[in-house]
Amino acid sequence: MDKIFTVAKREYLERVRSRWFLVITLAVPALMAVAFMLPLYMAARSSASTAVRHITILDATGAGLGDRVAKSLMADSSLTSQETDSIKPRVFAVAAADLAKREAEVADEVMLPEHIAGYLVLTDSTLLGTSARYAGRNASTISDMDKLQSVIREQVMMLRLEREGVRQDIVGDLAKTRLRLNSERLSERGRSGSGVSGLFAGLLVGVLLFMSIIIHGQNVLRGVLEEKSTRVAEVVISSVKPEILLAGKVLGVGAVGLTQQIAWLGIGAYLINFLAPIVLKGSTAATVATSAAGTGSASPITAAMGSLSPMVLVIALAYFLIGFTFYATLYAAAGSMVNSEQEAQQAAVPVMLLAMSTWLLVNPVMLAPSGKLAVVLSWLPWSSPIIMPMRMGLTSVSPVSIAGSMVVAILGSIGAIWLSARIYRVGMLMYGKKPSFAEVAKWIRYA
Amino acid sequence: MSALAVDIQHVVKRYEEHVAVRDLSLQVPQGSVYGLLGPNGAGKTTTIRMILDIILPDSGSIMLFGQPNTAPRVLDRVGYLPEERGLYKKMQVRRVLLFLAELKGLKPSVASPRIDEWLARLSLSGGDKNWGDAKVDELSRGMQQKVQFIATLLHDPDLVILDEPFSGLDPINAQALKDAVLELKRRGKTVIFSTHIMDNAEKMCDSVCIISRGEKVLDGTVAGVKQAAGARNIALSIAGGAQNGAGEVLRDPQLVRKVDDNTNFFEIELAPNADAQVLLHRLIQAGARIDRFELMQPSLHQIFLQRVGAQGVETGMSGHG
Repeated sequence: MDKIFTVAKREYLERVRSRWFLVITLAVPALMAVAFMLPLYMAARSSASTAVRHITILDATGAGLGDRVAKSLMADSSLTSQETDSIKPRVFAVAAADLAKREAEVADEVMLPEHIAGYLVLTDSTLLGTSARYAGRNASTISDMDKLQSVIREQVMMLRLEREGVRQDIVGDLAKTRLRLNSERLSERGRSGSGVSGLFAGLLVGVLLFMSIIIHGQNVLRGVLEEKSTRVAEVVISSVKPEILLAGKVLGVGAVGLTQQIAWLGIGAYLINFLAPIVLKGSTAATVATSAAGTGSASPITAAMGSLSPMVLVIALAYFLIGFTFYATLYAAAGSMVNSEQEAQQAAVPVMLLAMSTWLLVNPVMLAPSGKLAVVLSWLPWSSPIIMPMRMGLTSVSPVSIAGSMVVAILGSIGAIWLSARIYRVGMLMYGKKPSFAEVAKWIRYA
Repeated sequence: MSALAVDIQHVVKRYEEHVAVRDLSLQVPQGSVYGLLGPNGAGKTTTIRMILDIILPDSGSIMLFGQPNTAPRVLDRVGYLPEERGLYKKMQVRRVLLFLAELKGLKPSVASPRIDEWLARLSLSGGDKNWGDAKVDELSRGMQQKVQFIATLLHDPDLVILDEPFSGLDPINAQALKDAVLELKRRGKTVIFSTHIMDNAEKMCDSVCIISRGEKVLDGTVAGVKQAAGARNIALSIAGGAQNGAGEVLRDPQLVRKVDDNTNFFEIELAPNADAQVLLHRLIQAGARIDRFELMQPSLHQIFLQRVGAQGVETGMSGHG
């Protein structure tokens, strides 16, 4: 047994000492942080800008709709910002006959640099609830247009309510209604973060697990291939059983993966917490919260990290080990069958397909984490190590299901070890042409 | 007879299409240098791999130092240099050696000073560069072979198995290897090596076993093998050539199996069961004037060709290469 650790120790130290390990361990969290920050940054940028206030309103309704819109825009807290508080929409009441002339003048104004962003035309048809017109530099900024549209719609509705004789104070009350849906996940353990941060957590866990399993699984394949092609395998196998060499290798590389995961989580958490304030500087916390997460908490990422309870992390790491063992031993078997890197690519295709099939189904699982597909996938040994921890981040899964799927996954891994050890035992000493499936089947039977 | 280092009894290994080793039995006494001879494809490597428990025989038993070779730790007493050599290319030489020694159960604290010793002895350190700290792929091929040789002997094994150790060695390293084998023998270690270079085997081995097509052709001490084979060959010189009755005597299939006629000089292979003394007597009776009549001890090379050539070489499995 101590020879397993000798093999594992060599695998671990040689890999951890390599420059690549350092690069990947540092680069991945950095990339992840960027990948998570970018949408946030974009979200912060893409919420309605203060430009919607910097407009001229041509009001041809004769009902004061322009003033109402202007007031509503100024009252909107999501547009608050120190520098631009002084900017107010200008409202001109115009007669329907003069509208064309005025519009041309204002359009010229928009074209001047450093001037108003655009102009809004409100007509009788606006009052009827049919249409309004806007022309401006930010006309293609979806969030600005959404904001403008919702404000106009709201004001038209209020105006008409008043006209229909609804009491002024009731209308005012209605206008203050700002319904926001705060989603919160409920599970047996109680309240655990928002739904959105759960989504982040689930995705984070899924991506990390999938990446690690594939990266380190292929490392095992490459390691096996190296031992075989340099012929060092024969010396090693004369000292230890092939099964021990295989087990030690999987154990050692697995430990490397575990080290890397923990480093990733640590560095990732630090980077996100450290970077988030810098990236989001200038946008108010409220903006970020409404646009990206809707939770009202400081940052959805920190919330996501927070919603990963230690228990989920521990189970995720356990699943990593199980899933890694499953894939790594299969990769090892693939590596032992072949003699070159090119052949290895081919031999690894079935293993890769198994992993990819899981990855392609991650999206549907995320959308319906308690759906039939998600449940089935979390019981299959090749997909459960990725799907189950994800689901745990997304929804609440009963401990019985977790334990059950883990047992199935462990049994699956044992099956994979059994199968791989037989292929490996024969394959490591076979040189020459790549074996056919029929030949490999014979190895499994006779080994 | 001293205790046996290796005792193989009736070992059989079948593969899909052919039988690699067929009912092979051989005994290697402790402290001897043993040559496993045979053409390529004869089953030498398969036999060695079975001794090392790398592959399992289909039937038969293999004992090392009186224990089954599957017993725990027994293989720690064996050092193995495979025919196809290789090391972890990206690893430091010293770390590779330490790893391989640890696999043989050696503690790093014991292995480390020995590695220094060996590196110095094979002049891989002490010069302007200490190759122990270099990566394996920075070393020349010759240096890598030295490192591999160190790996074989680092744990001071009682049994050293070398598969085709001379292939790819230059004359200087080949001589160094011969010296090393003889030194191991002096220290009471057992050495088994496979080769198809009979010259080396004849000079170095106490005992040999010739196998062909997975079967033992003959085995025994080198002296014994030669003696057994040698009595069948005669160098004969007849003054004036084989005239009259002498020629008839040499053509008698009861006595002579084959004769290489060089007019005055004859190389004769005796017929099975024929007695050299009878041949001599008959030649004198026939009135031949005999200048030389010598029972020749053939070289191992000749024995090999004679015994294996009929089967192995005929089918294209040439004895070299």
